[in-house]
Amino acid sequence: MAAVTRISALCNRGVKPLFLSKSLLARTLVSSKKTRDPPVLLSAQIHTSPAHYAAGSKAASLHWTGERALSVALLGMIPVAYMYPGPAMDYSLAAALTLHSHWGLGQVLTDYVHGDTAIKASNAGLFALSAVTFAGLCYFNYHDVGICKAVAMLWSL
Amino acid sequence: MEVYIQVAVLWNRSLVQRSAAVSSGSRCCLVYRHAVAMGTNAKEEMQKFTDKNSRLARPLSPHITIYSWSVPMMMSITHRGTGVGLSAGVAVFAVSALVLPGDFASYLSLIQSLSLGPALICTAKFGLAFPVAFHSFNGIRHLMWDLGKGFRMPEVYRSGYAVIALSVLSAIALAAL
Repeated sequence: MAAVTRISALCNRGVKPLFLSKSLLARTLVSSKKTRDPPVLLSAQIHTSPAHYAAGSKAASLHWTGERALSVALLGMIPVAYMYPGPAMDYSLAAALTLHSHWGLGQVLTDYVHGDTAIKASNAGLFALSAVTFAGLCYFNYHDVGICKAVAMLWSL
Repeated sequence: MEVYIQVAVLWNRSLVQRSAAVSSGSRCCLVYRHAVAMGTNAKEEMQKFTDKNSRLARPLSPHITIYSWSVPMMMSITHRGTGVGLSAGVAVFAVSALVLPGDFASYLSLIQSLSLGPALICTAKFGLAFPVAFHSFNGIRHLMWDLGKGFRMPEVYRSGYAVIALSVLSAIALAAL
């Protein structure tokens, strides 16, 4: 399609039809502008994206959707945690917060870290951090007061 | 003269037919003979570009040092900054829970024993509440963009100011609790 528009762009560099009478000129204007030029044979290569791209992995697209779905879920959890504090919300928040952070920091790394080894190393570090964070939050939920109660206690200072 | 006009009309008519054939998408050799599918994907192209830059040791063009800052730009980096900051805070909290001795209540009574005063405590609460509020409200703004809404420049600015106002007000309200 891009190739077709390129032809018409070439054709629009109009050559004034000096030999046409006025009535015929009007008729030419009614028909397409492309008719005014002689056809130019393209000798340059045109690059197009593959017409029928082999169905690639949908992983990136699904990841994007997952990120948005998790964000919406986390937004919903905030008022629910306020209204119904308890172990169910504690563990849900721990999971949602950790995963949202993990994916968010992953995007930051993708933006700023370049080079194969650097990317691999930073992603491995991020994975370790997220794993430890989730473990710590679950430990806190189990052995201590839990996230919801902790926020309430902190705010009562 | 008449002969020339007639030839011109006939010639134009044939061009109309040919152009029509081309624009209807038929496999006219005039257009498709030289079309080639690209052999590389976007990631490979970017990698080639990055490698060429480091090979030639090209200096980076100034960008944030020269480009005039705008409210949307500042809000975007603040969204990222609050996100990274909150993630760091949660991580520090979680690691502390695993590593430090004593339970949460003991640390709260430690803070209480410092007798910091209500002004400082309120400020600290605002300092915690504002990043959460800003990141949440701007997050909603981002989700609206993901739905395809609110991309016109006046809308971007209006939603931006709304997020700032809501964040400040709700952080104040939370700090006052």
